Amino acid sequence: MSAVLVVHGGAWAIPDKLAKASVDGVKGAACEGFSVLKEGGSALDAVEAAVRSMEDNAVFNAGHGAALNTDGEVELDAIIMDGRTLDCGAVSSVQNIANPVSLARAVMEKTCHVMLMGRGANLFAESIGVATVPTDSMVTEYERKEWEKQKNYITGVMEDFNSQWAHDTVGAVAVDCAGNVACATSTGGIRNKMVGRVGDSPVIGSGGYADNCSGAVSCTGHGESILKVTLARLILSYIEQGKSAADASQLSLEYMGSRVQGAGGAIVVTPPGQWAATFTTERMAWAAVENDILWYGLDPNERVKEQLSRQ
Amino acid sequence: MLPVVVVHGGADHIPKERSKNSMSGVCSATRAGYAVLKGGGSSMDAVVEAVTQLENNPSFNAGCGSVLTVKGDVEMDAIVMDGKTLGSGAVSAVRNIANPVQLARLVMDKTSHACLTAEGASQFARSMGVPEVPQESLITEYIRMHWKKNLAPGANPVECQMGKMGTVGAVAVDSEGNVACATSTGGILNKMEGRVGDTPCIGCGGYADNQTGAVSTTGHGEAIMKVTLARLILFHMEQGQSVEAASDLGLAYMKSRVGGLGGVVTVDPQGNWAARFSSLQMAWAAAQKDTLHYGVYCGEHFTQSIEDPN
Repeated sequence: MSAVLVVHGGAWAIPDKLAKASVDGVKGAACEGFSVLKEGGSALDAVEAAVRSMEDNAVFNAGHGAALNTDGEVELDAIIMDGRTLDCGAVSSVQNIANPVSLARAVMEKTCHVMLMGRGANLFAESIGVATVPTDSMVTEYERKEWEKQKNYITGVMEDFNSQWAHDTVGAVAVDCAGNVACATSTGGIRNKMVGRVGDSPVIGSGGYADNCSGAVSCTGHGESILKVTLARLILSYIEQGKSAADASQLSLEYMGSRVQGAGGAIVVTPPGQWAATFTTERMAWAAVENDILWYGLDPNERVKEQLSRQ
Repeated sequence: MLPVVVVHGGADHIPKERSKNSMSGVCSATRAGYAVLKGGGSSMDAVVEAVTQLENNPSFNAGCGSVLTVKGDVEMDAIVMDGKTLGSGAVSAVRNIANPVQLARLVMDKTSHACLTAEGASQFARSMGVPEVPQESLITEYIRMHWKKNLAPGANPVECQMGKMGTVGAVAVDSEGNVACATSTGGILNKMEGRVGDTPCIGCGGYADNQTGAVSTTGHGEAIMKVTLARLILFHMEQGQSVEAASDLGLAYMKSRVGGLGGVVTVDPQGNWAARFSSLQMAWAAAQKDTLHYGVYCGEHFTQSIEDPN
């Protein structure tokens, strides 16, 4: 059984000045997640490790580096799902937690619920000894400047830039040596979102889904569009009908574009080890590791191959 | 065949002394939804009207009559979805408003977002002029009694309440063939603060698509989420299954894969409808061709003219 891990660092028009850091970030996260699989770790452990790596990396809009809501605060969403049991954990609008994906996992493993939000999620974090991090240490100078700039636009003008909004949610999917799949997704949401806005990331079937019977998916892009078509679950329904991971992703993203005019990206992995990284936005930073080979890309049709040194 | 509205008042164990109230509540809500449709209103207007009535009815776990969190507070979830545009609006863990389903609709109509939670939802409500109501006005003696009972050490809230009180919801197809769904709930008894169940999660608590149909679900929220029950049922319909078979397949899968019980109301754009449940009971009612259909226990299907007073 071949273990595979795929990560994404967001599907949007990533500007050149962020390109290298984004690609380096996903490559690093993929390698970190894959090393968990190589040591016999579970798909669940691997996706958590990969996403934590990107949450800790301020170039991505998850954990550190998160976007600010309209009140200038950080509100984070995350989801993690185990394809073997369909167990799932999610947090939404949780504040000032460095690793929301790990908090989501704790919801899954330590409560009888699937999703906790806001103050309830923060209280839970406190109850299990997860530290709160001050906003200032989570927000980059770049983000604060962009947030101030955007606050000065008229709302109408902002709508036109929908496709240009940063959608750099991060995510990972994996299949381990036992054939179990898992997914994880984490985000700070859209800059200047309304207080309490919940996007696709923490919503099961939209931001992510994992099922040993079909595969695991993590999505990124325009959250409201992803929700309307329950993108992750849609991709897996095509796989259930016999489509390949790549075709299933392509069909679903095209449907999202034509039905609700939304653009995005998805990473997919299936239990036999098939994988795909697909996007309809200008760019998506992604990386995958399989058999000690690292694949990665940023622009459409870009697929770079690197041999990982064996240890 | 059109228009149609189908309503549920929760798929759970309904004690006999309360089943009469549940029955008359869903019938009343169905009549109200049907009147909207017959008057030329949209399926969205109809489902919101039906669910509003159930939220205002203290016999149901939505709006007034909502169950309490472990701390004794009311936190409500709701969703609406428009099958024509796939537009949807949801609120989760919102406090101190009488009609979460109406606030969910405002999220859909007046914002560029799909879901607002907690304080953010309240802020939005204030900006829309939605009145804040005291929490006490939403809490019934019956609910408070159950909350106290479940605080006792050794009481397992999830098992205790599984089968006690349920979410409410409705689906409809109007004369133009547009489908819509709406679902609303106070959640599960003694839930953790901030717990969000299936109801406000699109594809779980409900889904509506003019190409296939609309579903509103009720039952064990965490199980419904794990199988994205509403979307699953519609996938089966996309594959050619009837509303009834698709609903049963979805519910059976949820039972076998994750051990969860529940119920659904389902409608397709042609006006075929079903009210199915794997739990012991589900109070439901439907209106089509001026006939009222209703039932509570497994196998029940009563009919009468919609004109007959309840």
